[in-house]
Amino acid sequence: MPSTQTAMTDPRAVPLAEYRAALHAWLDAHRDALAPRYGPPGTLDEHVAQMQRVKGILYDAGWMQCGWPERVGGRGGSPMLRTELGAAIAARDLADPGLFSLVEVLAPTLIDFAPPALAAAAVPRLLSGAELWCQGFSEPDAGSDLASLRCRAVPDGDPETAATWVINGQKVWTSLAQYSDHCVLLARTGPAESRHRGITAFFVDMKTPGIRVRPIEMINGEQEFAEVFFDDVVVPAERMLGRLHGGWAVAMSILPYERSSCFWQRIAYLYARLERLVARAPTDDRAAEIVGNAYVQLHALRACSRATQHRLAETGTIGAETSIDKLLISTAEQTTYEAARRLLAGTIELDDGAAGETWRSEYLYARAATIYGGTAEVQKNIVARRLLDLGSDE
Amino acid sequence: MIGADERTAMQDSVQSAIANALKADAAADVDAVLAQLGWRDMLAEEPGDAIGIVFGALGATNASATALDDVLGWALGGAAREDCAVLLPAFDAWDPPGRIEGGGGSARGLATARVSTAREMLVACGAAGETRIAAFAASELQAQPVRGIDPDAGLREVRLRFDAARADRLDPAAWQAALALGRRAVAHQIAGASRAMLELACRHARERSQFGRPIARFQAVRHRLADALVAVEALDASLVAARETPDPDTAALAKAVAGRTARTVATHCQQVLAGIGFTTEHPFHRFLARVLVLEGLFGSADAIALDVGRRLLASRRVPTLIEL
Repeated sequence: MPSTQTAMTDPRAVPLAEYRAALHAWLDAHRDALAPRYGPPGTLDEHVAQMQRVKGILYDAGWMQCGWPERVGGRGGSPMLRTELGAAIAARDLADPGLFSLVEVLAPTLIDFAPPALAAAAVPRLLSGAELWCQGFSEPDAGSDLASLRCRAVPDGDPETAATWVINGQKVWTSLAQYSDHCVLLARTGPAESRHRGITAFFVDMKTPGIRVRPIEMINGEQEFAEVFFDDVVVPAERMLGRLHGGWAVAMSILPYERSSCFWQRIAYLYARLERLVARAPTDDRAAEIVGNAYVQLHALRACSRATQHRLAETGTIGAETSIDKLLISTAEQTTYEAARRLLAGTIELDDGAAGETWRSEYLYARAATIYGGTAEVQKNIVARRLLDLGSDE
Repeated sequence: MIGADERTAMQDSVQSAIANALKADAAADVDAVLAQLGWRDMLAEEPGDAIGIVFGALGATNASATALDDVLGWALGGAAREDCAVLLPAFDAWDPPGRIEGGGGSARGLATARVSTAREMLVACGAAGETRIAAFAASELQAQPVRGIDPDAGLREVRLRFDAARADRLDPAAWQAALALGRRAVAHQIAGASRAMLELACRHARERSQFGRPIARFQAVRHRLADALVAVEALDASLVAARETPDPDTAALAKAVAGRTARTVATHCQQVLAGIGFTTEHPFHRFLARVLVLEGLFGSADAIALDVGRRLLASRRVPTLIEL
């Protein structure tokens, strides 16, 4: 059934296990074409170019469209098909899972909230690697407390009929902003005290005059994040996503994707990293204990994530309980890289070769696992209030 | 396999049947309650569901029963019978409790209270390159009751020596299957007990006031309880994985996660319960004692993690075990 040229004929009719087997057979057959053109660790420029190239190849073969709705150029089928693809890409080190899975938090926003024609035109460009998008949510004074964001969008005239909106303000921690063609932006459209009720989402062309991007160097030396400044940036009203003042719903709608598919992809990557570690680690009992402990944690995380995704597929919704997945994945990720630090003595700290550069960069990146996507403390607050019924902490 | 809702409903009804029996008489025969509910038939029909429901309920009620003998007896190829006991491995071990060398056999392991009423006891034995099994009459056994940290658990220490000719050949896969089911059963029991401890601690946090407010309002308390719930949910998910992808590895990992969860939950809950959790007037101490004993059945979290780690390092592979 799987051809070596294109993906299977109809992804809507294929059981997941069969899809997975066909996908891996195809990836095996196209190993050379998909492999990075640079040696490890590679620069961010190289990582981004590789990801877009891989997306293009997968799109041409019909894999990248599996699991996306037909009305945006997809081929239909369960969203789990996307998850399987992302996990396979991550496990084979063909693209960074953090970057690759951005599709999962951006495309659904357009599909659910953009005017249908805009979604139909834009999503294929994201899936095929023709474009990159970023997510303009966090601000210097709105991190964990997103509802306090202040970047303003003002209508040119009456808010209900205005043809354009003018945006002023600043975003920060915007991943890949300097590479991006569009930004899904949250802006304040109500009074400052309106909190989550006065926010609106826009799909902003990053080439619009008045946008300035300043990349930020992270602890691992990469410039994945940026500050983005908006100075009288004019956005057409038809680029509004969702309703006026309905931006909070847009932001919250991302959570189920971020906490299911994206996590599964990252989990596949963490298994691959642990496998890379056991290939080089000593084989004494201290090493066995450290590796075994990391594996037990990864397994519990994978089991939890699997259950979450089946619940999402069955009920169409997941909520506060995904804070548990978030806490598990951040802990497991840091445990995995701590295992590498403890077992590859001096590699992370001193090794200037390719292995050292790679482990060091990833180790340092993993320090953020308990921070991005909602800090561990915020997740625990959600668990306490929503899942344990401990009431308000105020 | 039955549906999730039905499973929850069945666990609730088994749990309340046990709880009601224990309420009427703290020394009630929980095995009789289970027999009345048709536990052995359930085990034969849907072992995965039956084990989850019954051991989850035993854990939640902190009841003492001998259902583990049924699980092992059934997995070792016999029908589950109330007059048949099975020797468990020694504390923190999981190899067959018996050993055959040359013409002589010996065994050392733990037994449930059933050993004192059973007609026979099955003993799985490791021998050079194979696995064997022998049956002993109650009169042949010396079972020493264990008090230890949890006298109510009803465990016995059993040692015996026997003629190797009495042991028949056993498919090695049968011991692996029994071990896997035993591990899942104990892990379910720990899951039930862990959730019960967490409920006790949450109730206390809501009701106990200090500094003019319920202690549940203090973030340090909330975060401990949140960490405990994360551990409990990770264990539940590991048990679902072991049921849906049943093999020795998913069972071993579920048991390892269980040991870890019990430690995390007991530590946080006892800290939140503070003074009252340090007394015998509050039920917490019974759950703590029980999970410490259960942690040692079929291998502790540390011992399993070490064993799994050795195998990963030997194979240089890290299998994902479960798929979407």
